[in-house]
Amino acid sequence: MDVPSYKVTVARDLEDLIPVFMSNRKKELDTLRVALAAADFEQLRQLGHRMKGVGNSYGFAHVSTLGKQIEDGARSGDRAGLDARIREYADYLAKVEIVYE
Amino acid sequence: MRVLIIDDDPDLRSLLGHYIKQRWQDAAIDEWDPLERDVPGADFPLGSYQALILDYMLGRGDGLEWLAKLKQRPDCPKVLFLTGAGNESIAVRAMKAGADDYQRKQELTRERLLTSLHELTAAESERTVSRELAARMEAHSLGAKVRIPGIKVLRLIGEGGMARVYLASREGDDDPLVVKILRREVLKNKTALQRFMEEYALVERIQSRHVARIYDHGQSEEHAYLVMEFFEGGDLMKRLAGQALDPAEAMRVFRQLMFALGDIHEKGILHRDLKPQNLMFRQDGTLAILDFGIAKHIDAIDRTKEGEVLGTPRYMSPEQVQGRALDLRTDIYSAGVLLYQMLTGQHLFEGETAVEVALHHLNTSPPALPEDLQAYQRLLDKLLEKDREARFRNADEVIGFLARKLEQGSAPADRTMRLH
Repeated sequence: MDVPSYKVTVARDLEDLIPVFMSNRKKELDTLRVALAAADFEQLRQLGHRMKGVGNSYGFAHVSTLGKQIEDGARSGDRAGLDARIREYADYLAKVEIVYE
Repeated sequence: MRVLIIDDDPDLRSLLGHYIKQRWQDAAIDEWDPLERDVPGADFPLGSYQALILDYMLGRGDGLEWLAKLKQRPDCPKVLFLTGAGNESIAVRAMKAGADDYQRKQELTRERLLTSLHELTAAESERTVSRELAARMEAHSLGAKVRIPGIKVLRLIGEGGMARVYLASREGDDDPLVVKILRREVLKNKTALQRFMEEYALVERIQSRHVARIYDHGQSEEHAYLVMEFFEGGDLMKRLAGQALDPAEAMRVFRQLMFALGDIHEKGILHRDLKPQNLMFRQDGTLAILDFGIAKHIDAIDRTKEGEVLGTPRYMSPEQVQGRALDLRTDIYSAGVLLYQMLTGQHLFEGETAVEVALHHLNTSPPALPEDLQAYQRLLDKLLEKDREARFRNADEVIGFLARKLEQGSAPADRTMRLH
């Protein structure tokens, strides 16, 4: 089975900001899991919205894509879909490879 | 330069601050976290900032409400409003509430941020500005000067060779509209002005949901304008973003384009300038054709002089390149060029110059589609026939072909069928 590869190219001058950015994404993932367990769809919507806004800005388009899906899933209360997206986010954060140029 | 950033996302605040300090090394950036603090109070020295960057969704507050409160203060600086919502009516509400500019977060780049801040603060921070910036500022101020009854012109959102395009809305609601204002230099050209004003007359005759609606038009000594529908879904250029569409999506768009052409051709109107920038999407995904600036009624006197070529070389039919009299089939060819681009993500023909590209339409056979898209080869061949006598005659023929050959069940096109 193919292992998805996630490669992100980030401007060199943002290198100093990326450790905090990634650390915040991991905290965000934990919060997403807790919110899903509590079926807190408003919290999930807000987190998805935030991911959508910040991902592209740093060059992490997939974070924005997942954020939009999480925001939409929270609006419709699609628990199974949200679970799948959050798992995908965890997989992404574990595997993402950052290249600075 | 002092900038205040109000956003609930610490990463975004850091990033914006980083970009600003890169451009203005001595800039002072203050961050305000709305999750921890309410709207700045009367004792907060708002007037000490040259610019305020304010987010729409503040986590536990509404940026529009904060904007309205802050703008009541006489010392409020210029405000750049950020929105992560895809809905343009938020931008309209923000501009009506006093925002001086807005940016969508998803599209916010370093350049856009800095350009916006530069424009907002240039009057204070620099005595001289570049010619380019001066032109943009003039364009912004033109929008504010034009008076259209019942319409508020809000912000410059695009510029073309003929006209500038502004976001606008009616005074009574927040639905976004577009106002297209003819460039002053073009206003002096009687033929260009006539074309611009005829666009309204042509579109008014069509009355199709596949054509951009024009609500109003007008002309004074200084300005000529059209008030048009705003498209939340952007144009095909944006949707393509240099990539191919999924074939099913490409065919869905192409089919709608054929319905659009059917509607305009039925009224005897040729578009003559189909290209990705002129195909717009509404929020529900429906497509509408825009920009009838060089369209003409098939029986009307053509303002195109003999041998004069109007259109965009990448999408021109062979007969258009030759400056010959045109009929419906010119738009059918251009639609074929668009379909090729949607399916492959590539231009049909490449060239160093516009002339080189145009000549390919006359002399070069279209490249074959890749193996996995062969089901569409026959369709494309018949759309892109250089001899228009061998091309589909009209959109109805194309739609009929789609129904017979491509849309019966999920079977691919009959590869053995003779088309002509």
